[in-house]
This record gives sequence, structure tokens and C-alpha cells, in this order.
Amino acid sequence: MTTNIVQPFVEKTTDLFFSVFSVSGAVWIGITLCAYLFSLWVVRKTNNNPFANPVLVTAIITGAAILLSQREMSAYQQDTAIIHWLLGPATVALALPMYAQWEKIRSLGWRLVAAVATGGIIAPVTAWLAVYAFDTPFAIQMTMLAKSITTPLAMEATEQVHGVPALAAVFVITTGIVGAVLAPAVYRLLAVTLPQAQGVALGSVCHAIGTAKALHMGEKTGALATLGLCLNGIMTAIVLPLLFA
Amino acid sequence: MNSIIRFLAGFVLIVLFYFAGELLVSLLDVPFPGTLVGLLLLLVFLFQRKQVPSLIVAGATPLLKYMTLFFVPAVLGVGVYWEDIASSFTAIFIAIVFTTVFSLGISAWIAQKLMAPVVSKDSE
Repeated sequence: MTTNIVQPFVEKTTDLFFSVFSVSGAVWIGITLCAYLFSLWVVRKTNNNPFANPVLVTAIITGAAILLSQREMSAYQQDTAIIHWLLGPATVALALPMYAQWEKIRSLGWRLVAAVATGGIIAPVTAWLAVYAFDTPFAIQMTMLAKSITTPLAMEATEQVHGVPALAAVFVITTGIVGAVLAPAVYRLLAVTLPQAQGVALGSVCHAIGTAKALHMGEKTGALATLGLCLNGIMTAIVLPLLFA
Repeated sequence: MNSIIRFLAGFVLIVLFYFAGELLVSLLDVPFPGTLVGLLLLLVFLFQRKQVPSLIVAGATPLLKYMTLFFVPAVLGVGVYWEDIASSFTAIFIAIVFTTVFSLGISAWIAQKLMAPVVSKDSE
């Protein structure tokens, strides 16, 4: 009984480690790492301009290398499976910032939960309405529902509701970049001046990229954005499979 | 050298929570992301200990700091689905750009209404 459950798990993990020790695996992991180091340098040089997002820059460089070498994208994904796998432990590690913020969560109580839930509901519902109105394929509609939560949770939740995890990653990251770039203008327009409110909305609608922007705007903004990111990530990842799986 | 060993030990601990979450989900056959269950298990563990063990901090810090790297293979998966995206480009563009800006504005405005009474008096 138990072996039946453990076995696919073990196979998946061994496959992963074989890919690391293959020549093409080593080469493509190396290319991705170099592109990533370069992207971090670009981000520092451009003084954290949201368009200079490390994921975006690394993906463009690596994507160009894949196109030039005419390698299949799916083969690349197999080569770098170990990098993708690390998302799992990294998501689990989000428990640390969440734990660190716990006192603040308690002191704001239901007001915080209500504020996060507002962003957590409006964002996916309006996005879904847009793709539904245009009659896009079902898988894209389902994928859009997870666009406001942090990528690893979004990818898993998308898989549960029969969306496309790879598309979820793209939707999530573009959502974050759009929000981070336009947030200051939107807040000015609507006269949202309270740092805590600015932070909660950025964290719950624009996840980790919005949180990075919020940290740049100030300490209170950043702390509340982390809360929005964690709370909405957990709420959405629990609610979506319950509604649609 | 010592710090590398501490990172590896902490990393292994976090991976154990991750595996525990994945195994629990497949044992109970529930439609929850295994990583989420792993996160919650670790959170419960931290509350039990009432502090974060320094080994776990050593393992988690690099994972959180370089998390953006781990998204790259997934994002490049867009190449595999490019035709689907191109065929619904307008809808996807509207869904991502307009509704994100709209939701961001509305939720910040509501958050300000909700939190202004409690926050303004305890800070400053």
C-alpha cells in the first residue's frame, strides 16, 4: 500500500538527479545560472526598476540561447528539472516570513483578512470575466484564476483545477510586473496614502513582485505586502481546488 | 565551509517538510497543493518551538533570496504554449493589464477604509 504511493515519488526524484549529471543538463543549468547572475547585476545597475525583473531578464536570455541552439523547449525543461524542483522547498520556506509577521496579523485581525480577501477575490474574478467574455479556451480561463498568487502555489493550484501550470507562471509574473510599475500612479489617482493599505493591495494582488516593490516604498508597506502575499497565496490555493477540482 | 554545511543541513530539514506535505496529500488523496501542506506543517512546527531554529534559517535564507531563479524553467514553458497565448492575445492582455490595475486600485482603497481607524492611532 505505502510502496505504491512512495514509488512514483522516488522515481520522480531519481529522474531529477540523472538530469543533473547528464552533459546537456550541466550545460543548460550552467547557461541558466550565468544568465541569472547577469540579470541580478542588471537589476542592481538599474536601481530596481520593475521592468528589470530577474525572472524576465533570465528567461529572455536563456530563451534566446534555446532558440539559437534550436533545442526543444521541453528538452530544456527536462535538463533544468532540478532548478524547477527547488521551487517546492522554496515555497515551504515562505513559512519563515509568515511566522515572523504573525504578531502583526493578530493585531490587525479581521480587518487585515478582509482587506486581503478583497484583493484575493476581485483580481481573479475580474481577470476571469475578461477571458470568459472573449470566449478563450477553458484551460486558459482556469489558469487566469491563479494569476494573483505567488508562482509556486499558483502552478500547483492551476494543476489541481486543470489549467496549464507553465502558463500560470507567465500570467503571474506579468501580473506582478504590471502592478509594480503602475501602483504609484493608481494610488495617486485614488488618493490611497496609507502605507499599510498600499502594501496589502500590492502583496495580495501582485504577490512576490508587488511585495518587492512595496519593500522599496517603505518598511510598513513591505511588511503588510508580505502578509498579503502569504495570506492570499494560502487562501487562493485552498479555495480554488475546493471550488473547481 | 561551516556555513555550507549548516545551509545543507537546514535545506535537508526543509525538504523533509516538503516531502511530508507531498506524501500527506497523496496518502489522503486531497486536491491541495503538497507544497502548501508542507508550508503549513513547517509553520505549525515553528509555533510549537516558539522560535525559528537557526539551522532552518540557514537553509531557508538562500532559497528565499534566490527564489526568482527557480521560476525560469517554468516561465520558458511559455514557448510550449505559445500558440494558445497568441490565439487569445487580446483577452489575456486585457485580463492581465486592465484587471490587475483595477483590482489593485479597488483593494487598496477598500484596505485604506478598513485599516485607517486602527493603524493611524497606534503608529506615529
